[in-house]
Amino acid sequence: MLQRFLDPAVLAGLSSLDLIAKTVVDGFISGLHKSPDFGFSQEFAEYRAYNPGDDLRHVDWNVFARTERMYLKRYRGETNCQVNVLLDTSGSMKYGSRGVEKLEYAKFLAASVLYLAHLQRDAAGLVVFDDQVRNFVQPSTRQGQMHRLLHGVEEAQAGKRTDLVPPFAHLMDFLRRRGMVVVISDFWEAPEKVIEMVSPLKFRGNEVVLFHLLDPEEIHPKLRHPVMFEDLETGETMEVTPDYAAHEYRDKMRTHLEDIESRAKGAGLDYFLVDTGRPLDAALREYLALRTGRL
Amino acid sequence: MGFLSPWFLAGVAAVGLPIWLHLLKRHKMDPRPFPSLMFFERREQSSVVHRRLDHILLFILRTLMLVLLAILFANPFINRATPKAAGKKLVLVAVDNSFSMRATQGGESRLDKAKREAQNIIAGIPGTTAAQVVALSGTVQAMTGQTNDPAELRGGIASIKPTDGRGNFGELARFARTLAESSKMPIDLHLVSDLQKTALPPGFTDLRLAGDTTLILHPVGGELPNWTVENVVAPTRVYDPKRVHITATVAGFGTAAAKRNVSLVLNGKTVQSKQVDVPAAQPGQPGRAQVDFSELPASYGFNHCEVRIDSADSLPGDDSFPFSVERSDPKKILFVDNGRQPKAQLYYRAALDSATDAAFELDVQRPETAAAAQLNGYALVVLNDLGPLPPGLEENLQRYVSLGKSLLVALGPDSVAMAKVPVEGDPIQASNYASRGGEQFLSVSETDSGHPVMKGLERLEGVDFYQTVGVAPAKDARILARLNDQTPLLLERQIGEGKVLVFTSTFDNISNDLPLHGAYWVPFVLQSAAYLAGGGAEQPVNVPVDSYVELRTHESKNAAAVVIDPDGKNALTLQEATTATTYPLTREGFYEVKTASGQDSVVAAHADRRESDLTVIPDDTLNLWKGTGAGDTNDAGVGGTADQKTTPWSLSPVILLLLLVIALVESAVANGYLRPPAERQEGARKAA
Repeated sequence: MLQRFLDPAVLAGLSSLDLIAKTVVDGFISGLHKSPDFGFSQEFAEYRAYNPGDDLRHVDWNVFARTERMYLKRYRGETNCQVNVLLDTSGSMKYGSRGVEKLEYAKFLAASVLYLAHLQRDAAGLVVFDDQVRNFVQPSTRQGQMHRLLHGVEEAQAGKRTDLVPPFAHLMDFLRRRGMVVVISDFWEAPEKVIEMVSPLKFRGNEVVLFHLLDPEEIHPKLRHPVMFEDLETGETMEVTPDYAAHEYRDKMRTHLEDIESRAKGAGLDYFLVDTGRPLDAALREYLALRTGRL
Repeated sequence: MGFLSPWFLAGVAAVGLPIWLHLLKRHKMDPRPFPSLMFFERREQSSVVHRRLDHILLFILRTLMLVLLAILFANPFINRATPKAAGKKLVLVAVDNSFSMRATQGGESRLDKAKREAQNIIAGIPGTTAAQVVALSGTVQAMTGQTNDPAELRGGIASIKPTDGRGNFGELARFARTLAESSKMPIDLHLVSDLQKTALPPGFTDLRLAGDTTLILHPVGGELPNWTVENVVAPTRVYDPKRVHITATVAGFGTAAAKRNVSLVLNGKTVQSKQVDVPAAQPGQPGRAQVDFSELPASYGFNHCEVRIDSADSLPGDDSFPFSVERSDPKKILFVDNGRQPKAQLYYRAALDSATDAAFELDVQRPETAAAAQLNGYALVVLNDLGPLPPGLEENLQRYVSLGKSLLVALGPDSVAMAKVPVEGDPIQASNYASRGGEQFLSVSETDSGHPVMKGLERLEGVDFYQTVGVAPAKDARILARLNDQTPLLLERQIGEGKVLVFTSTFDNISNDLPLHGAYWVPFVLQSAAYLAGGGAEQPVNVPVDSYVELRTHESKNAAAVVIDPDGKNALTLQEATTATTYPLTREGFYEVKTASGQDSVVAAHADRRESDLTVIPDDTLNLWKGTGAGDTNDAGVGGTADQKTTPWSLSPVILLLLLVIALVESAVANGYLRPPAERQEGARKAA
């Protein structure tokens, strides 16, 4: 029943992004009841044996009273990390063949990730970019942060061309703590250039997740007769025959996807291809299952 | 090269349509947004370029079609040298051999003089020029083909024989026009004739000649006074030799007033002679006088008759007028009556006797007597208002009708006692009465005027019917007359080989007043008797030359017909005897004809008496006739020059053929484009 509401076209009908994020996240968390702590935290809350030099304020004296052994109590708040979502709003994100544009889908996904991080009490931040940084919400756990984030997501408008250099340079300046960087983009760029731009984030100890958003028509275009295509970013036009789209284009696209995935894995990045024709929670569920396996 | 209708070239503007379709419209392709053209290559437009090349081929074909269509309507032509410019021509020598050419002057007939003149014409024709000889009477008869051989042409002239046909210059003009069209050469038409005025066609346009035809006239003879027996009115069948009335008309063309002896000749023997005063002829009007002969002692069978005059003029052939008469006994009609209404018999007999030639004899019998009588000797049996028939009469009548004889049944008040019409079998329903007071009577509302019985009896106006007998007609019965209440008054039905005619009222003046209207009653009785007793239609036996006699109908295909000509020879070959449907009477005289259905007759053919008028065509008319040929320059065409050395030759057939070929190619090319793209791709993939 819930799955019906998670169809991208149905979600697009909901007015509030807050409601969308709750619908998506609560939906799949209730499906993951055995592991309520699964989330985006890199460190788990635990007891650790006391070592000389440790702060005695963190010793759990109740445990010492029962066991006469000293253990340090690790608070959950200390395990929180920074989660930064980078949302691509370039012109190509405005494309949508089945009612829901890629940008809209990306907004749902960003809102869901941010809401999930908020539940984990992680400090969540947002960077909206196209060829420049259009909006930036500093990572924080303060009161009202979630509201600011969702507002930032909601305000995002399709812009011009994609350029990963300015947002990542901007982000490098602000990333003080280790954390997680979630990049949501259609990555219409050469794979080597994408990885070249993204991989420096990894060197600072961040976990980098790439959500590659593509419309089904971009992956498998179906043409019945020759069509004049217009590039949404450059405005360039070109006539395309059905025969070309059915064969050569698909081959090139498949190569591109394989290339970008292998390069991402080679650079230690998490890569996940999101088909905007699929339900949103299914994409999240698949990703988290993948992460669980790794953790 | 030129155009006969150059304003049609404006149609070339229609070429704009394919230009718009192919060159302007094809660029109108709405672009569809796509995220990135990263994986598309510019070179892939080559497929589009290929398609555009194909479209250009279609565009060229369509443009060419429209241009050719416009040119076709503009009617292009090129000027070609005419045969006249090349010095070629055809000489047509027409010799008149109609009946009037039998006239003699100075001991030599006009035809002989004409043939001599024609030989002189042939002698003057250069050896390289082709010529043809034709004879002209009722029709144009080609005596030779188009040839350069003088001997053949002379032989053709020598073989021309005199005929009894009527000359017709309209036929000659038509032949010359056809010849000019087929030979495409100028024609010199030499007409050797007495140029009789009566040979002109009714309309002058029938005389017109083709543009390059030159008419050269060679008149032989001139206007001469001539006597003739113009017409004879005589019965074709005689029953009583003493009651025959024959009228002959004697005419004099260009003659002074004179007395003429007129003789009636029967089978070569003069039986009567009379003298008649013929007044002088007036300009354009012959002097005419009529002679009556009141007896003709003809023998039984067919008789050869003639009316002759003593004229001693230049054309003796028209001094006698042949006609044929058949002598036979009056046919017997049996009138079966029960005696209750004696007026019916009285009226019927009076109508039969009123005919000038008493063709029928009436025999009256009671039904009881008729039941045992031998009916074979009667040509017709009439049943007048009989009640239930005595035993044996209906069987006797049925046998009689089955032999192909006929029955006339009149139904009256007594007939209502019968359940059905005798022999014919239609049920009798009831007797319909109308009051004699006021307007209470029935009248005839419609008649079948095409039937021989009802000929000239349209609607029987003024005849009132007070009582009729209702009859339900069978499906195959033919209704010849209906009353205004739509009940049949007269109906006919074929029973086996015979016929039965049913009159649903009586022959007296009680049930209707038809017998009191002599103008209707007498023709009705005579025509019905002739139709029922005569045994079918007969063909005319006194006709002009060039008429046709009918030898067979479609029903008698395999039986042989016989025609004996005036010389006593069989005129038909064996094949013609079994297949020919008609035979033309080309000579004056008596023809013995036996049709395929076995009907014998002697047909008398006489020369058309318009040939007896030897008046010559006025010079003005002859000059006008000449002017329709060589003097007519209007047909030279737009591209023609004043001396007519060239003639326009239309290019339309060539362009039409070209247009057809291009249309076929265009259809094939366009069909290739009309296939759905998917199908085309699949086909291309399979081919690969």
